[in-house]
Amino acid sequence: MERLLQYIFDGLSFGAIYALLALGLVVVFRGTGHLNFAQGEMAMFCTFIIWQINDWGVPLILAVVIGMVFGFLLGAGTEATVIRSVAKKSPGGVFVVSIALFLGLNSLATMIWDRAEGYTMGSLFPNKPLDFVRVLGAEWRYKFIGVLVVALALMGLLFLLFSKTKFGLAMRSVASNPESARLVGVPSGVVLASSWGIAAAMGALSGALVGGINGQLTPSLMFSVFIYASAAATLGGLDSPGGAVIAGLSIGIGEQLVAGYIPGWIGQDLKLSVALISIFVVLLVKPSGLFGSLKVERV
Amino acid sequence: MSLLKTVGLRASYGQVDVLLGIDIDVSEGEMVVVLGANGAGKTTTMRAVSGTIARSGSVVFDGQEIVSQSAESIVRLGVAHVPQGRGTFSELTVEENLRIGAYIRKDSIESDIARWYETFPRLEERQNQRAGSLSGGEQQMLAIARALMSRPRLLLCDEPSLGLAPLVTQELFEVLKNLNEQDGLSVLLVEQNANLALKVASKVYLLETGQVVASGSAEAIAGDERIRKAYLGG
Repeated sequence: MERLLQYIFDGLSFGAIYALLALGLVVVFRGTGHLNFAQGEMAMFCTFIIWQINDWGVPLILAVVIGMVFGFLLGAGTEATVIRSVAKKSPGGVFVVSIALFLGLNSLATMIWDRAEGYTMGSLFPNKPLDFVRVLGAEWRYKFIGVLVVALALMGLLFLLFSKTKFGLAMRSVASNPESARLVGVPSGVVLASSWGIAAAMGALSGALVGGINGQLTPSLMFSVFIYASAAATLGGLDSPGGAVIAGLSIGIGEQLVAGYIPGWIGQDLKLSVALISIFVVLLVKPSGLFGSLKVERV
Repeated sequence: MSLLKTVGLRASYGQVDVLLGIDIDVSEGEMVVVLGANGAGKTTTMRAVSGTIARSGSVVFDGQEIVSQSAESIVRLGVAHVPQGRGTFSELTVEENLRIGAYIRKDSIESDIARWYETFPRLEERQNQRAGSLSGGEQQMLAIARALMSRPRLLLCDEPSLGLAPLVTQELFEVLKNLNEQDGLSVLLVEQNANLALKVASKVYLLETGQVVASGSAEAIAGDERIRKAYLGG
């Protein structure tokens, strides 16, 4: 029981990070219909920026805010320059460009912050050996609680932005019918660039949270996180923010349970495959994901 | 006084020229209909006016040249376009469709929403349903109401009768006629249903392969034997 609760606590925190990155994928997919394969590497690059600013003496929390602003500009700038011009000519080209961005950002980070053993990354939350609360016998570390709270708060804000503001309505209208959106006066360019910007800013935050949990920063920081996040986005349905959150949290918990209870032959090494196989099965049965919507329209 | 005037309006899709120089004039408060067979360039004319395709020549709205302006800015000048096939936002609710229709406005829009619900009671009944779940007629009503939410001076309406039952079509035309006569809204209408269109319009342009081949008052066009035979089914 204690053990189970422990896995669930840890799983929730990791899951919240996957959900955050998965939400970024969903925001971009809903806005432009593209999968941004560079989402994880953008997050990694922003995390290095955060580390660098922090290393120059700026408090970590402020560095994270600056990093998120940098992420917004990076995402929005990428959409407005390379993605938009390629998307006009060939939708498949965007796939190739995002792969190129993935490799480019990875190499760039390796080039600038060149050190094999990586860098020590601070945590936003108290992280001493005794910084935990005991809930029914299981240890819940403050840094895991912090990650969960921050991630959930950001998701809440995003939900409000989408459903309650004029800007959110404009974003959804562009996703629904770009030409009609222009006809009612929505500046679709600004909206699309913003959705990429918001996705990248969320990525920056998730990168900082992952770095804080790991305590270490290398260019491969987001690699497995991105795989879990894209799994969460696919599983939840690429156009469903709620689905991404639920799937992200489930994958986080599932990962801990599998690694914990079946350590012998799956353990840490094969848990990624377990996630991917379960996604494969879900997609076979329900191709639009668990919460995704098939486009239904009466004519 | 002329509200919309196109002179030598040209447009093409890739290598194919669709508009070969269209001259159309819509006066303030007038309802003008554009007739023509499939492929004559009716829809392209509308899109060239609202700015959803690249075009050349001259389009003057309210004394201002708009031929090189974007769709986003043209709607701000007071031109609302109800596109062919309605173009509603299927994933948004009926009410959200109306709200986004008023995107360019900064003032209060609640009284406008109430007014269009009164005009189209079926939209009010379905205000929280997704637009994609509406019937064709309801979607057309929604498309028109959404366009009106921007408080336009000129409404471009592209084949509102397409695929609708005759009764629903009549209801829509009644609404358009009222808007034109009572509110003084100028309307540029594209229609395949010529008999119906001639009843509400005051002026008619007849398009054939990207050119205006005849124009005149609705009575004159309706009375022209040759045109009757070719376009109005005897």
